[in-house]
Amino acid sequence: MSRTGSLYIDRNTIFHRLDGSIKLMLWICWTIFIFMFMDIRVFAIMTIVGFVLLRIAQIPFKSIKPLLIFIIIFTIFNSILLIIVTPEYGSQLTGKYTVLLNLFGVKLTMQTLFYALTLSLKYISLLPITLLFLFTTNPSEFACSLNRLGVSYKVAYSISIALRYIPDVRDEMINIINAQEARGVPFKKGDANTIKLLKNYLTILFPLLISSLQRVDVVSNAMDLRGFGKYKTRTWYNRRPLELNDYIFIVISIALVILGVFVKNNFLNKFYCI
Amino acid sequence: MKGFFTSIATWQGILSIVIVVLASLFLFRKGKKGLSTRDVVAIGIGAALYGALSYISIPIGPNTSFRIAVALLPIFGAIFGPIVGFLVGFIGHALNDALMNGSVWWSWVFLSAFMGMFGGIITFDKDFDVLSGMIQKKHYFKMYMYAIIGMLVGSVVAYAGDVFLYGEPAAKVWLQIILANAANLVVIAIVGIPVIILLAKTKSKNNNLDVDA
Repeated sequence: MSRTGSLYIDRNTIFHRLDGSIKLMLWICWTIFIFMFMDIRVFAIMTIVGFVLLRIAQIPFKSIKPLLIFIIIFTIFNSILLIIVTPEYGSQLTGKYTVLLNLFGVKLTMQTLFYALTLSLKYISLLPITLLFLFTTNPSEFACSLNRLGVSYKVAYSISIALRYIPDVRDEMINIINAQEARGVPFKKGDANTIKLLKNYLTILFPLLISSLQRVDVVSNAMDLRGFGKYKTRTWYNRRPLELNDYIFIVISIALVILGVFVKNNFLNKFYCI
Repeated sequence: MKGFFTSIATWQGILSIVIVVLASLFLFRKGKKGLSTRDVVAIGIGAALYGALSYISIPIGPNTSFRIAVALLPIFGAIFGPIVGFLVGFIGHALNDALMNGSVWWSWVFLSAFMGMFGGIITFDKDFDVLSGMIQKKHYFKMYMYAIIGMLVGSVVAYAGDVFLYGEPAAKVWLQIILANAANLVVIAIVGIPVIILLAKTKSKNNNLDVDA
């Protein structure tokens, strides 16, 4: 994560030139598409397509790696919990019982394992498109894109402020922690037991809150003085008129959702299991 | 067995939609129209705080952790009102998920959002204002009550999202929701609401200035 609190990587590819709002729309449509299915073949195709898109956007694998590792660990834990809590869930859905393991009458079936795998791939297939949006959209274009999709400009501006102030607030927090450490309050593992550490972390909340409330006053006064919120709409420095590419991707996004509804209703409406 | 599960699921799905619609209607009727500049900045800074404080988390179960950031939701709700509370939870959680994990878990974003929103309902009381130091004993109980209602509503929405959109088995989601809510309740009860009370007590109750007519 860079100093500005965003993941943006500057390149000149088709996705970087695409308007932010179109990428956001593609992200939303992709998510809706994935949510409609419970079929490993669809997720496998979408995952591959997603990573090809990331490749086209020239995102180095080095910067994707930590996020990819995170989601894989996340899905592994998720699958383990799923298998422990509902070892027969997959079989209940398919009606087939292929028992792999029988522990004291609790049966783990092959179908459940396959269900966990499908679910994991479902989450992984949502990752590339999110990353595509985050890595190729300039944070200052972010608010403008949301506004173009119909989100009120004030809410869009809040998101801009959040992105802008995440590093500042984090610095403030580290300052407070350092000040407390200088007074001998332990914050690191090994200096005290976990409960004590947690208690110490709670003590930083109050000063952090007070300084943040002051910041709210300062920033909102500055914005009021510049006439923020006087009109119903506003213009954006980063807004460009839509180009041919943008229209093509609008069509692709809408087509994706329509295709999803069509395929779902006609072919793949149930959990697919081999 | 399968029919049994789907019948419960649809019943809860309908309930969650009804709750969301009712809650939004309630907000629109009682809440302010539009956001002031101060609200806009409060949402931004609140979401940034949520993101920064999310570094501090202690895992208590699979993909469920004990996060101090949750305490911010009732605090920002109580100071700035339900709309700000909702958006702090929504934007804070979604941004933090996106920037730290690369993927946003939408159904749980709504849990945070509703905790913030219901934390803000206390501001409908005319004799409650944290920043002017206006707080009474009767508000303490109300704040705990609203926090619990917010969690319940958020849980139903998170449950519906997990089961219908993400395709998780219901029994597993219940376990995660119970764990997460227990952790959140501890954080809100021990940190969130006491901080609101403390904050209100540090603000001066009366000033000598009168509004000139």
